[in-house]
Amino acid sequence: MSLLSIGLLYGGATLFAMFLGIPIAFALGAVATLFMIIFMPSGSVDTVAQNVYEEMASITLLSIPLFILKGAAIGRSPAGRDLYGALHAWMHWIPGGLGIANVFACALFAAMAGSSPATCSAIGSAGIPEMRKRGYSPGFASGIIAAGGTLGILLPPSITMILYAVAAEQSLGRLFLAAIGPALLLVTLFAGYAMWKFQREFHAALAQYKLTGAESELLRVDTLTVYDKFALLPRVLPFVILLTGVMVALYGGYATPSETAGLGAVLALALIASIYSVWTPNELEPILISTLRESTMLMLIIGMSLLYSYVMSYLHISQSTAQWIVSLELSRWVLLAAILLMVVVLGFFLPPVSIILMTAPIILPPLKAAGFDLIWFGVIMTIIMEMGLIHPPVGLNIFVIKNIAPDIPLWDVVWGVMPFVGLMMLAVVVLCIFPEIATWFPDAIMGAK
Amino acid sequence: MAHGLDDVETEQAAPLSRRAADRILAFINNLMVKASSIALVAAGFVLTYSVIVRYFLKISTDWQDETSVFLIIGAVFLSSAAVQALRGHVAIETVVGLLPPRVNRLRQILVDIASLAFCAFFAWKSWTLLHEAWVDGYHSGSTWGPPLWIPYSLMTTGMTLLSIQIVFQIMDEFRRWTPAR
Repeated sequence: MSLLSIGLLYGGATLFAMFLGIPIAFALGAVATLFMIIFMPSGSVDTVAQNVYEEMASITLLSIPLFILKGAAIGRSPAGRDLYGALHAWMHWIPGGLGIANVFACALFAAMAGSSPATCSAIGSAGIPEMRKRGYSPGFASGIIAAGGTLGILLPPSITMILYAVAAEQSLGRLFLAAIGPALLLVTLFAGYAMWKFQREFHAALAQYKLTGAESELLRVDTLTVYDKFALLPRVLPFVILLTGVMVALYGGYATPSETAGLGAVLALALIASIYSVWTPNELEPILISTLRESTMLMLIIGMSLLYSYVMSYLHISQSTAQWIVSLELSRWVLLAAILLMVVVLGFFLPPVSIILMTAPIILPPLKAAGFDLIWFGVIMTIIMEMGLIHPPVGLNIFVIKNIAPDIPLWDVVWGVMPFVGLMMLAVVVLCIFPEIATWFPDAIMGAK
Repeated sequence: MAHGLDDVETEQAAPLSRRAADRILAFINNLMVKASSIALVAAGFVLTYSVIVRYFLKISTDWQDETSVFLIIGAVFLSSAAVQALRGHVAIETVVGLLPPRVNRLRQILVDIASLAFCAFFAWKSWTLLHEAWVDGYHSGSTWGPPLWIPYSLMTTGMTLLSIQIVFQIMDEFRRWTPAR
């Protein structure tokens, strides 16, 4: 059988197994094993379990459950509400300050928790009702939270980035740093939009008030005392210290990324025990169970995706496809656009982890040949996958929002989120024109590559 | 939604032996989740310890990384049956909404049989790997060099439990399927 037919069959079988509804991990494992049995020497089939074990037994990959534990510990505590409250107290004087406080709270929380849905639910459960109470339209309020939550997979310690670093054999520390500039760009764009949209809603409410005398909460001016501003700070400071402490441990060379994960998880548990008195086994159980649920699901997908790409590479499917793409001699930007389009389409159905591990062996060699910096591309690819978290049909964050604010119609959420998808596209374009936004920071801290 | 309720109402009562088996499996899963939780937190402490002794006591360490790998691998595989019991292994559900309920039930059975085929195959290969590692005394290639039967036994136990869990789920689906025929 020709390589092309095997390749097409491999892709076809995968699509069939996945769309039949077989859990992603088992679908990938089953297709890979089936092709091992048919096309590979019998000896290699015997090592299938050993293969998966060896691929998974990497301390970098296995830091993922610990990052999830850290996120779950912070996510289950009232830290999100406190963080958001404190930011609001300090930013309420800016027009649209409440919306901006939500964007900032999402970014900070995402950097501590490293998970997009966890950020949405922690900040959104306090932020959405407050924004709606203050007259923000439901779509706008949910858009801010859904989009703010996506920063979770961009800011360190992002699980998506860890996988990309492993798949692309790039430095994780460098990749984490490269994401910071683009994350700040996105935060600025989101906050700018929040301000502009607030002004529009504010002026509409003002016009309505002048015309009909209808009062709107949007027009009410907050007065917060200095006491209000400082009252919440002590509760938030430890978490900010945790965040900076972990960063210093990682970049000061005191700890490896996996040690940082362990340290972060232990510190997060210690903080929720000391600040919120969450420490008994009964209170910790939901945190541990949700961590195990997410990590086991994710780690099995990762293990099987690695087996899947091992088979793809053994059968020369990935190399030939990569060579074929190179031989098309597309111009760099057409190549990039085509690959990003593919990532967008895959994002309709697959979680970021599978997209990275399944496509990396195929798309990275052509990108490297075309002269793209793979660290920079990791950031771009992550932003594209972030978009997949907030647009239909999967749009995980949209469903998280539906959970916290069930009375907001789905369409309002979807429409509220769309401008943010546009802003993310804009960010990708800006990063293509000015790649230094991503590459400057790691170069400055860790030296040029 | 009404179909789910119908299922429960028309479902044949499970035989006594099966209910006992269900309870035993649920008990084991619960135990595994507890063990996995402890392993995960322990891994966090092991890595934290590693940072502390290296930085403050200047002692270089060689066992922490591998110990945490074993602990986390154990946590992941041992809790996989419990996650399957909750149908927590994500799948693409796009087609599900488009199919009539009866076809969908058939699809679910097919999906579980395919999952079982893979997991059972994987469990079998894990058993042979564990046997080899035990008999031939495989050790990891690091300076510490712990025996590999430790992580392999965790993987084998986890995959075996996962396969048993899927067998139970298939049996449940068949029982629901039969009276509706």
